[in-house]
Parts: sequence; structure tokens; C-alpha cells
Amino acid sequence: MLTIDTQIENTHHILTPSGEIDASNSVQLDESIRHLSESGAKSILVDGTQIDYISSAGLGVFMSYLEDFQEKGVSLKIFGLKPRVYEVFQILGLDQLISIFPDKESALAQ
Amino acid sequence: MIKLPSVHIGRLSLLLSILIWLSLLFVDLVRLFGEINNLNSGIAPAVTWTLEILFFLSVYSFYTRNFQQNANNEFLNLIWRSASTGIFASAAFLIIQLFYLFLGDSNLAEEPFLKNFFYHVHFALITVFLISTTLLWKKLILYQKTKKVVQQWQTFEIGLLIAMFFVYFTQDTFGYSFIFAFVILTILGGFLSVNLKWIPYLTYKEKWKSLLFLSVILLTSIYLFLQANALSGERQIYPINLLDNLFLIALYVFVFIYSLFSFLVTLFNLPTSSVFEQKLTEAINFQRLSQSIQPEENEENVLDILLDSSMSASFADGAWLEMYQSEKNESITQVRWIEKEELQELSDTLESSQAAQEWASSQKADTLEPFSLKVKKGKYQSLLLVPLVINKSVIGRMVLCKEIKDGFNKEMINIISTFARQASIAVENHRLLNQAIENERYQEELKIAQRVQKALLPDRLDHHSSFEICAYSNAADEVGGDYYDTFQQAEDRYVLIIGDVSGKGTSAAFHMAQMKGVFQSLIQLNLSPGEFMIRSNAALSKCLERNHFITASVFEINTSQKLIRYARAGHVPTLYFNAKSQKATYLESGGLGLGILRNMQYEKHVDQKEFTYHEGDVMVLFTDGIIEAKNQKAMQFGFERARSLLEINHSLTPKEIQAILIDTLHNFVGGNGLIDDDYSMMVVKFT
Repeated sequence: MLTIDTQIENTHHILTPSGEIDASNSVQLDESIRHLSESGAKSILVDGTQIDYISSAGLGVFMSYLEDFQEKGVSLKIFGLKPRVYEVFQILGLDQLISIFPDKESALAQ
Repeated sequence: MIKLPSVHIGRLSLLLSILIWLSLLFVDLVRLFGEINNLNSGIAPAVTWTLEILFFLSVYSFYTRNFQQNANNEFLNLIWRSASTGIFASAAFLIIQLFYLFLGDSNLAEEPFLKNFFYHVHFALITVFLISTTLLWKKLILYQKTKKVVQQWQTFEIGLLIAMFFVYFTQDTFGYSFIFAFVILTILGGFLSVNLKWIPYLTYKEKWKSLLFLSVILLTSIYLFLQANALSGERQIYPINLLDNLFLIALYVFVFIYSLFSFLVTLFNLPTSSVFEQKLTEAINFQRLSQSIQPEENEENVLDILLDSSMSASFADGAWLEMYQSEKNESITQVRWIEKEELQELSDTLESSQAAQEWASSQKADTLEPFSLKVKKGKYQSLLLVPLVINKSVIGRMVLCKEIKDGFNKEMINIISTFARQASIAVENHRLLNQAIENERYQEELKIAQRVQKALLPDRLDHHSSFEICAYSNAADEVGGDYYDTFQQAEDRYVLIIGDVSGKGTSAAFHMAQMKGVFQSLIQLNLSPGEFMIRSNAALSKCLERNHFITASVFEINTSQKLIRYARAGHVPTLYFNAKSQKATYLESGGLGLGILRNMQYEKHVDQKEFTYHEGDVMVLFTDGIIEAKNQKAMQFGFERARSLLEINHSLTPKEIQAILIDTLHNFVGGNGLIDDDYSMMVVKFT
């Protein structure tokens, strides 16, 4: 089960996926991010506090926007990941490419 | 035991009856000769009676057998056989009468021997007609038989048998005992004669024919009776009375009563015949609709039957059927007796009719009933809209048109809605069947894919005296995205690879095949693990879908230097048991999954490392399917569980270690729990 909540705070678009992100529902996440990107969002923050699990398909979604966002100058930040989920980003090496923060404050401070 | 072939029994009884008849004739002529010449021939009447009974029995058995063999049990055919026998007998009587007419007053006309001969011919013909007709009536009576009717018939037959012997007791034809027995047999015959269940099954035309045949039977039997009566009157000429036999008279009465009943019932059935036929047609149509569609047929056939059946059930003057393809794009599949312009006009009328639109937009498709509509102008004055519903959604509608007002009564609507429901079920079954066939085909394709993919994994692993190795892989679906392989690059140099495509299933399987191709090519170049990753990334970046990536670990084992060089591309860290420290740890290194950075930037993230190995060291390479496997409490198998397992079991062989890891994993996940990802492992033990 995955539900995705989107909020706008100042200039930041905050995406809050809650539940497990796997091959069956990663499309949902993809659609939400694409929607934000197409609507011209320049700063996307993903609130990772509600993510219980992310599979490689879910990671693939974040990965697929890396180059695109770099070209358009969109900043993508993830914060508040649970240790086990963070570990998955780390193993794959995505922590080197995406800015991952421990909490919302530090994400906004940057 | 001598067993006669059954085919011959019929002929035998025919031959027997002819012989008996001839001997009867002979006996009676001899007696006559004796009487005329005042000589005592010494032949008792009992001889004649016995021969007569034997004749009855042989004719009876001949016809019983004959009718059993002739399987044509059509009612009309049966009646016709009886009628034709009657016509034949009557014709024979007439010819004999004409013969005597022709003889006039000549001596021959008074010749007693000739008269007696013809008397016997008459007797034989009447017997044949009565017995054959009785047996035919038996077939009609026992149509749709019940136990009770069969018992009644058997009683009647026993009564007839007894009646044959009646002549031994009294020759007084109309004595009290004779009349008493006759009345009993008549009552029995009368009871049987109410069994006329075959009549409703005749069609209107057949009823007329059977009326004709039955009237022929009635007329000929009356004629034969009158003739026989005339003969019986001339007692003195005929020394012995053959015709005034209780058996024959009882048969005659029975044949006459049944023919009369049949005639009258058929006659009175004529007016209601069409209703019965209509119902029968409906039942047959219903059966045709309820039979599931044969593979060579299609939906069109079912709709065809539906339209025809509904039209015939409602006497509609025209009809059409439209199926909704997708979102109200109707396609008219069948039209009957309606011109194109009329159809357009009627469609427009329906479009503009508020009631019809309300009906069409009704939400509860599964309870939608046929809807009848009045039309004020135009040729057709009443319409009936019938929905075709599958799975709670309307898939089409049938429109029946009649030129009269209020043309559809409740019975018609009921039967038509049953037809429509049945046709919908048939169409649904057909569609489901097609779907099932398609699914079956996909399953077959997947099985092939599975087999092909299995072949992509090595069936033999390269190994050396200095290490033992084994590997295992399992896909969550039919096909998966995990890959492992070994290569021998030189006498003392081996490469181990394990890889995992993001996602699972078919797309992962295709990427896995690409990964194998890329790896197999690059391995030929004797690259260092780090360089290998850089080249692999460059190659895979060109062929992977944008949101897919691959993680891999590459290990190069140099057996002469006892050196391991490795690089990790975002893959699950490898578990390593160090025999010296007796500790298992995960090999630390940086690195990034293949296909994530699709430019030169990737090189920066490659992190190649090396170390020396020792005897007793164990290395376990696996994919994330093992680490991330969850039990019912949503707990992951995790790194620590795998690590401690290796520490405990390091002294075992690689195969045993692998078996323990997999068993523990399955126990952890639980009996019915399925591991939702592909998982693979390769275990290496240095010796």
C-alpha cells in the first residue's frame, strides 16, 4: 500500500509517500514526481519519514529523474529516511547523487 | 445348448405361421369332406382350436420381433403401417367378393371347398390386421411409459392369452361367461386407450396426416367387421367357426376403441397445436442458446440464434441487435426485415424518447428488464428493448418491432428476457474461453522464457583446486533478473560475478540477458574489476530503460598470489568469513549501481579494493532478495542473521552452507510465505 501526499510550502513542493514502495506501485511515485516536474516545481522535497520499505524499482524512479532535474535545475532532496531505508540508498550509492538529509530542517537549511 | 441366430427367429415364426395356417386349412377341409360325404373324419374340433391358437401365437411373435427390429418409431410411420395393413386386407376382401360376383350363379360359386378356402384367407387377414395393429398401438401406448401403464398392458396381454383358450370351455358365442370375459377385456383395453401422450408431439401437418390414416384404419376395421359378421352368419357352410373367437373380438374392440380415441383427441388437439409447437420451438431455441459456443462458432452465431428465437417467440415484424464496443460506440451487428431508413428513424425515435434514455442509463445493469415502448408514428407501433448484460454491465441491446399496438405480452417478454440472459451467458462464456486460451498461450510463452533464462545461468561453475564453489538462484515470478557466472581468464585467474536487475519479472529478465551479453564480452578483455565496472556502465547505459539499473559485484581471484581484487557497483555487500580471526564481516567499499549515472561521471564512484585470502576463508555473494526477505511480522531477514549463520557454519562445505542459509531463509519467511523478490547466492570456500 502506498499513498502519496503533496504539499506546497513556500517555494518547496513536499512529497510525502507513506507505506512500501515496490514494483507494483512505483508507477504512482513516478507519476507524482513527473506531475510536480511538469508543473514547474523547482524544489522538490521528499519526506521519507513514512516510507517503510523501498525496492529497487522505487529507487529506479528517483534515479530516472537525476539527469533530467540536473538539466532543468530542479533540486531534489530527501529527508527523514528510516535507517533501514537509508541503508538501501547507501548500498546502491544513490546517497552520493541525491541530497539526503536527516530531517526537514536540515534539508531546508541547505 | 443349441442357440438359434436371432435373425432367423422372425423368419421362422413367419414360416411357422404359414405352415400352421395350411394345416388348419387342411384339417378343416378334411372335416368338411367328411361332413359332406357323411363320413366320420374323426377329427375333433379341439384340433382346429389348437391350431388356431398356435396361429395366433406365431403371428403375434412374428410381429413382435418384426417391430423390434424396425427401429423407425415415428408415430406417423407406425400409424401408416397399420393403415396399410388394413387397406391390404380390405382390398383382398373386395377382390374375393368381386370374384364371386363374377362367378355369378355358376356351380363354382356354391363350391363349399372354395368357400372354405376363402373363409380361411379372411380369417388369416383379419388376424394379421388385428394383431399387427394391436402391437403398433402397444408402442404408442407405452410411449413415455410409467410402471403403472406397463403393468396394465401386461395384464391386458395375459387376459388376451387366456381369451385364446376360452373356446375350449364354451362354444356359445354370446353366453354369459363369454360376455363377462369380453366386458373385462374391453374395460382393460379402454383403460389403456387413454394413453395418448404421443399426440401433442405431432406437428400441425402430421396431425392432419394421422387423422387421415386413423380414419382409414377405422373405415377398414368397420368394413372387415361387417364382412366377418356376414361370414359368421352362414354357419352351415363353414363346419367350424374361426372368427367368433373371444381373442379376436377383444382385439377388434381394442383396436377400434384406440383408433377412435386417437382420432378424436388428435382432432380436438388441432386448434391448440400451434401453441404447443411454439413452446416446443422455444424450448429447442433455449437449448441451442444454452449450449456453450463451440470453438468453430463465434458470438455472431449466438446473437443470430437469439434474434431469430426472440422474433419467433414474439411474432415480431422486424428486429435489430446492437453491441456496444467501447463507450457507446454502437455497432449494429444484425438486422432483420427492417430497411436502412426505417432503422435510422427508429434509432432516432429511441434517442429522443426520454423513457428509453432513462432506461438505458439505469445504473443497475444486472436487474435491467426488457422495456416496451409505444411509438406514435411510423410503420412500427410497439418496440421492445432487451438488454444484454454481462458481468453487471450492458454489452448490447436487442430491439424488437411490431406493427401493432401493445404487441408484446408478459409471456413473450418473459421468454425473451430468458433468451437474452442465456445468450449473454453464452457470449460471456465464449469471451472467457478466449481469454483462458490467450492466458494459456502466455503461460506457455512464459514457460519457454523460463527455460531460456535458466540456460543463461551457468550449469557448471569454473573452479580450481584452491577453492570450492556452488551457486543457487530462484526467481519470484516465472523469470527473474538475477545473474551469476564464473570465468577462467588464465591458469591462475578466475572471475566471479553476481548481478541483480532492478525490479523483477519479464522486464528484469530481458535486462538480465543484456547484462550477461555485456559481461561475457567485457570479460574477454582481462580488465581489472574497477575498469570492468566502468565499461559495463558505459555499455549498459545505452541499453537499459531510463528507470532501470543493475547492481553487481565482481571478484577476481588470483590463485597463485592468493589475492582477491573486487569492485562493487551498488550491489549488496559481500559477506566474508576470515578464518584467522574467526569473524564474518561485510566487505566495505564504495561504488554506484550500473546505469544510474550514464556519463563519464561514473568513474568517480568506482572503488576497487583488494586483499589476500587464506585457507578456510568463506565468501558468500548474494542478491538483496535474501537480505530483504520479510516474515509475517514484516521483519527483514537482514544482514546480521546471514552473518551469524556463516560464522556458526563456516566449517561446512559450500553446498552445506548454502543449504543452511536457504533453509533458514525459508523457515524465517514462514510456511506459506513467499519471497517477493528474486534471490541468488554463490558460496566460495578457499582450501
